[in-house]
Amino acid sequence: MCNSWVSSGSDRDATMRALPEIATRFEQLYQSLWTQPHIPASTLELCRLRLAQLHRCDVEWQRRDHAVPAPKRDALQHWPDDEQFSAAERACLAFTEVYAMDTQSITDQLADAVKAHHGDAGLVMLVEALGILDGMTRLSLLWQLPVPSAMRSPIGD
Amino acid sequence: MASKARARNTSAPSGNMIRDSALGLVPETLDHYMALNRAIWESGPLKPAEIEVARLRNARTVNCVFCKSVRYDIAKADGLSEDRVAMIDDGFRSSSLSIREKLIIAFTDQFLHDPNGLSEELKAELLASFTSAELVHLSMLVAHFSGFSRCAVSLGGMPDSLPVIEISLPQ
Repeated sequence: MCNSWVSSGSDRDATMRALPEIATRFEQLYQSLWTQPHIPASTLELCRLRLAQLHRCDVEWQRRDHAVPAPKRDALQHWPDDEQFSAAERACLAFTEVYAMDTQSITDQLADAVKAHHGDAGLVMLVEALGILDGMTRLSLLWQLPVPSAMRSPIGD
Repeated sequence: MASKARARNTSAPSGNMIRDSALGLVPETLDHYMALNRAIWESGPLKPAEIEVARLRNARTVNCVFCKSVRYDIAKADGLSEDRVAMIDDGFRSSSLSIREKLIIAFTDQFLHDPNGLSEELKAELLASFTSAELVHLSMLVAHFSGFSRCAVSLGGMPDSLPVIEISLPQ
């Protein structure tokens, strides 16, 4: 497997290992995303995967931070019309798409839709998580991390 | 830009600007977030003035009014004057910023605008001027500041402009 051009690492963890203190702090923050009570981890995983699709990032698309049923994962690019996605998930995915394209264009309506399901704390959790997930997706691309050989499914979009 | 805050922390003020912000609504991640912020500033190989160049370039591009107005005292003490801050604009390539500072801006721009389009030329320039650990540090801090400023923009409530304010690293 090839390595990233910035280090001898072939994946995110190996690349960040060059800075142990920062890597440890980042990992603690990253893991806290999946255990906090404000936004379901399954919803955050859908948002993370949607970011991977929008950025066309195969590495992040193949990553698994939380289980998502395969049919739902495969239908992600058609979430507005697919009944597998709940109203709460749709609110978060709609917010995620505008966040990814132009954060300045997020409207009160998009934010209110998230708050209707998850409250003010849920909205804060979502934007905090999107910042981290979007950032790591961009770094996977910028670091030119190699795509693992076992492709699970095409990225879609 | 949304002038109305979309989430409010109604807890009694603690005097810590981050804990008192809307981020305080999510205590499960807040301590980890602040610990990472401190590590970004204190535990990597890049100097505070170099970190601040990347942070301010990101703030300018994402248009986070709060992030643009802030100056970290440790970066100022490290030599980042307002004259040099003014060079972190569209004309940075012809400015008197150092080669490293110009490459930090170029890397930040690549992250923000086209992370999938890094040229071989820029890659070679970065590898010639920075160590591997420095490049990982630069990567992590740009991702961190980008996420923070996008979070602030997404939550609304910022004025159109703010005066420059010097702060210390939040604890």
